[in-house]
Amino acid sequence: MTAETLAQVVVSGLLTGMIYALIAAGLSLIFGLMDVVNFAHGEFLMTAMYATFVLYITLSIDPLFLLPMVAVFLFAIGVVVYRVLIVRALSVKVNSGMVQIFATFGLGIFLRGIAQFVFSPDFKSLRGTMLSDKTVSVLGVFMPLPQLAASLVCVVAFIGLWLLTTKTHFGRALEATREDSEAVALIGVDRHFIFAMGWGIGAATVGVAGVMLSTFYYISPGVGVTFALIAYVVVALGGFGSLPGALVAGLAIGLVEALTTLLIPPSLKQVGVFGLYLLVLFVRPRGLFGNL
Amino acid sequence: MARWGKARAGAVGVVLALAVWFGVVSFGIDGRVAHAAPTEIVIGAVYPLTGPGAQVGLDAKMALETAAEVINGSYDLPVPLGKGGGLPHLGGAKIRLVFADHQSDPQKGRAEAERLITQEKVTALIGSYQSSVAATISQVADRYGVPYIAADNSSPSLNRNGLKWFFRPSAHDEMFTIAMFQFFKDMQGKTGKPVPSVSLVHEDTLFGTDSGNAQHKTADAAGIKVVADVKYRANSPSLTSEVQQLKAADGAVLMPSSYTSDAILLVKTMADLGYKPKAIVAQAAGFQEQAFFDAVGPAAEGIISRGSFSADLAPHRPAIKPVNELFRKKAGKDMNDNTAREFMALLVVGDAIDRAGSADLEKVREALVATDIPGEMTIMPWKRIKFDETGQNLDATPVLLQYVGGGWHTIWPFDLATQPPIWSVGQ
Repeated sequence: MTAETLAQVVVSGLLTGMIYALIAAGLSLIFGLMDVVNFAHGEFLMTAMYATFVLYITLSIDPLFLLPMVAVFLFAIGVVVYRVLIVRALSVKVNSGMVQIFATFGLGIFLRGIAQFVFSPDFKSLRGTMLSDKTVSVLGVFMPLPQLAASLVCVVAFIGLWLLTTKTHFGRALEATREDSEAVALIGVDRHFIFAMGWGIGAATVGVAGVMLSTFYYISPGVGVTFALIAYVVVALGGFGSLPGALVAGLAIGLVEALTTLLIPPSLKQVGVFGLYLLVLFVRPRGLFGNL
Repeated sequence: MARWGKARAGAVGVVLALAVWFGVVSFGIDGRVAHAAPTEIVIGAVYPLTGPGAQVGLDAKMALETAAEVINGSYDLPVPLGKGGGLPHLGGAKIRLVFADHQSDPQKGRAEAERLITQEKVTALIGSYQSSVAATISQVADRYGVPYIAADNSSPSLNRNGLKWFFRPSAHDEMFTIAMFQFFKDMQGKTGKPVPSVSLVHEDTLFGTDSGNAQHKTADAAGIKVVADVKYRANSPSLTSEVQQLKAADGAVLMPSSYTSDAILLVKTMADLGYKPKAIVAQAAGFQEQAFFDAVGPAAEGIISRGSFSADLAPHRPAIKPVNELFRKKAGKDMNDNTAREFMALLVVGDAIDRAGSADLEKVREALVATDIPGEMTIMPWKRIKFDETGQNLDATPVLLQYVGGGWHTIWPFDLATQPPIWSVGQ
């Protein structure tokens, strides 16, 4: 194993980790806000990728410029899902935790079914975008442009989210609702509005990740499943509801996953990821930055 | 009588009616206890209709339906049962297909196979694309005594489990691998340059594992160095580390065994990292799918793959053109390696049931064992279809194809080749 191999693996791991981080950010936001695990999170990612695909095919606009459109579209989907499904699931008299799990799980299956029905299960790819199939080599380490751009967008998105949640009035209301969703009514915050916004922003965030992912990854109805699984681990590792946690954990998972392939057979690389997760659970159960 | 009351009389009447109904029905629907010749033969097909292999499963459905049309219709083609009109020795009984979705999951495959056997009462099962699922389905079929035709499963271990009801008309990965290394030897004879080394990369289910093992074994026997043997997790979000290892090992020929999604990711990542081996010789699967070519575009140029079918062999096999036309009408695309094998599988089992003259499972099995179909009556380059004692057709001659200029061309065996291979290994 040479220094070049190690450097390449580290860089690739970090680039992949940024994507994991952004996908997990939305999940972390929703869970941290209202203790609801969105089991359809992977399917939100898939929806964003298909939306990008359709818009790219019909409008011939590069995916980078489609970002705002798809983000808004996913925001709307997040709000609608909250208003139509989650509100009902949470207002159930008994077992609302279970109901909410099954509701989002069922939503995920439903979205996958629709995607297969409309688009066929065949793998689709975006060809001929501005950045696709281009790669740049720095000191012998190759960095494909789509992944680089995705990482850049992820950083910007994280900064944006952080500014939103810490520097704005809305962000403070979000934090307050997270701490005590019943009490915020006393200070004039409508928690349903905050929850809906939380879902919208969470969905929009994973929508951004989906647009960037579609520039270099294949699109299929089941594409969300793999990434969602990693996202749950990232959220748990980083701490539920913590944005810096999602970023650090995402990068850590990406790095660990990549480095594990150098130590043990690559088919076992998830052992490294879940091994790290188990370690954190034993040593610090609330995750690296969580405060549950 | 009046003491009994209306309710009781009614209950007795209902029970009597049900008894009569069950008696009548049990004679009628149990086609396997054939008191009279059946008017239709039910064949079950287990394929992935949702999940990662779904497109292949849907294509398989259309291939099988095309074959059923040929058998039941009146197209008069030079294939077994090609005259149409159903099965002649069963009074024109029609083939009816029942499909089940195994979702690429061996356990679901097992459950669906069992359902088809016990509830749909199928006379035979066809399947299943993924070898890992075929492993469980073939065990179930053996337990119930129903023939399983492995249309497109290529793992060599499948016919080595001592199963009596397993039949595979097409080649398995050891046969394909031997063909690949024979090709290397033949190219050495032509160019004078041997293949110095190979890199193996394969996914981690039964297909990839067995293929990787077969390739490693054959390479060792041929004295060719295996500089990398990377087993990766199927459907990974990223294959960069794996490709980096392959790049570092720098084998002259890369030999991948991957399904569609991984094939796309593998080739794209190779392009991203600037890794280009002298040749890629693939174990088909994902590398033969249209979605792969749509996704990777020019990076697919020059890829060599083993195959069981090639459209450009039409001059040797008169049935290829009309069958492909029928399939195209249904599916909107040309037949490929998978769909051709699935098409043939139904003809093989239909032919056996016809020769058996009944849907009796033991008789069908005997007829399958006695199968002897000459290659000219198929759409494949095979010499013939004849099963050995393990149910394997050893005469399923593989071909090697190369993707040039947007299409597959047969390059080996040289007497079937339609154009010379583009090969720069060792130069």
